[in-house]
Amino acid sequence: MTNFKTMRKIGIILLLAICATSCVAVKEYDKVYLNDDEMVLSAKSMEQFETNFQVYREASAGANGGKSGGGCGCN
Amino acid sequence: MKKLVFFSVSLISLIGYSQEKQDTSYKKRVLETAEVDALFSLYNQDGNHAAVSGGDGTEELTDVTSSIIVRLPMNDDDVLSVDVGISAYSSASSSNINPLDGNSNNQVSPYMASSGASQSDVLAHINPTYQHSSDDRNKIWNANAYLSSEFDYFSVGFGGGYTQLFNEKNTEVSASAKVYFDTWNPQYPIELRGGFFDDRITGNGTYNPNFVEFDKLNRNSYSVSLSFSQILSKRLQGSIFLDLVAQQGLLSTPFQRVYFSDVDDFFIDDFQLADDVERMPDTRFKIPIGGRLNYYVNDIFLIRSYYRFYTDDWGITSHTASLEVPIKLSNTFTLYPLYRYYTQTAADYFYEKEAALSIFDYYTSDYDLSDFSANQYGLGLRYKDIFTSAKLLTFGLKTIDLRFSKYDRSDGLNSFIFSLGTTFVR
Repeated sequence: MTNFKTMRKIGIILLLAICATSCVAVKEYDKVYLNDDEMVLSAKSMEQFETNFQVYREASAGANGGKSGGGCGCN
Repeated sequence: MKKLVFFSVSLISLIGYSQEKQDTSYKKRVLETAEVDALFSLYNQDGNHAAVSGGDGTEELTDVTSSIIVRLPMNDDDVLSVDVGISAYSSASSSNINPLDGNSNNQVSPYMASSGASQSDVLAHINPTYQHSSDDRNKIWNANAYLSSEFDYFSVGFGGGYTQLFNEKNTEVSASAKVYFDTWNPQYPIELRGGFFDDRITGNGTYNPNFVEFDKLNRNSYSVSLSFSQILSKRLQGSIFLDLVAQQGLLSTPFQRVYFSDVDDFFIDDFQLADDVERMPDTRFKIPIGGRLNYYVNDIFLIRSYYRFYTDDWGITSHTASLEVPIKLSNTFTLYPLYRYYTQTAADYFYEKEAALSIFDYYTSDYDLSDFSANQYGLGLRYKDIFTSAKLLTFGLKTIDLRFSKYDRSDGLNSFIFSLGTTFVR
């Protein structure tokens, strides 16, 4: 139950932070910084190997845009 | 394997075909040209808590993985991606599924690798994805499949997803679902297999473990993923990910030994014979929720941050935080130091060696399910040439990525991983 409460608090804080500024609409011609390769909001393909060993060596996985269960005999 | 190789070759040959089509549309293509990523990694670890030998023994392992990801523009709106990979490992701990390698003159110990067949294995996988975008590029559909095979584990999976962009592409919402149908080919510790006998066994009485093989060998996983991304300013954007994952079936690893405190101990040399293998519940429900926040500080520095909270019904709670700071050294070179911190609580069923009782329903001595924290430090260097001036056959070299990370776990396990990635375009 404590875990759930903590998770809910984190979720609410993140949602509030994003909603607070979500009315901003950056035009396409102003997205030069946002379109930089390093600004991508998913894990980079180079990270897949590190994510793979972490899935084996740690009990948790997921919420990073990648695989979160199945496909290996790991946790 | 032959099928995988044949499929890969056929796929690469498709690149030429896709490039021959004339583009008569005014629409900007989702993917302008075919791209090929060639990736390679070397992973090495060592520690003293091998789950194969009940939480006490060498964890030395080396893994070499290579994969190729091909992205093909099928037309203006559609992209086919195929990820094909092969991973080969040698492991001292898994070699001790059978620590008796046939030579009776060799000392048997959980801290020494055996030369048995289980010391190495190969995992091959293929993961095709087909993506379709609407004319205004505000709707994206995708479907994917997954197939992997290793000696004791086979997996097949399917999935699909939908993404909607709105607010002048400042906001993005995605939903996807995946299912995996996995099957074990269980490899039990040698001393628990029928007909086992060795005249070197020492201990009080007769070694006669109360062991029953698993009757269900399948593992099914079902996941639903939701994500929300938002541009927050001209230099700041973030996203939130939520996964709901349900697993059922054989969630235990059949070759991981457990030693009970209320059962007599038996040995062959220094190697303690198993009382049982780990027994875990046949269902598990996981909830990871994560967020990314990326900030373009200036033309030299950027900040990439990530946080994840995880909980499941096995009693595990974890926190993951990572920070990467790309430093643009020039138009072509970017250096990126990175740091990741991870901490987790133990599963309700984790017991150190000789701590579990034989009357318990569930138990494991796998330290991956124990209480620990981990620090990961790394450094990467990226070369990018948007003009692809360097050529390999008809392909232009777009990027080269080198990445090194060191991983230290508080229970003594330490590892490093070196990764190399290149992207070619045609």
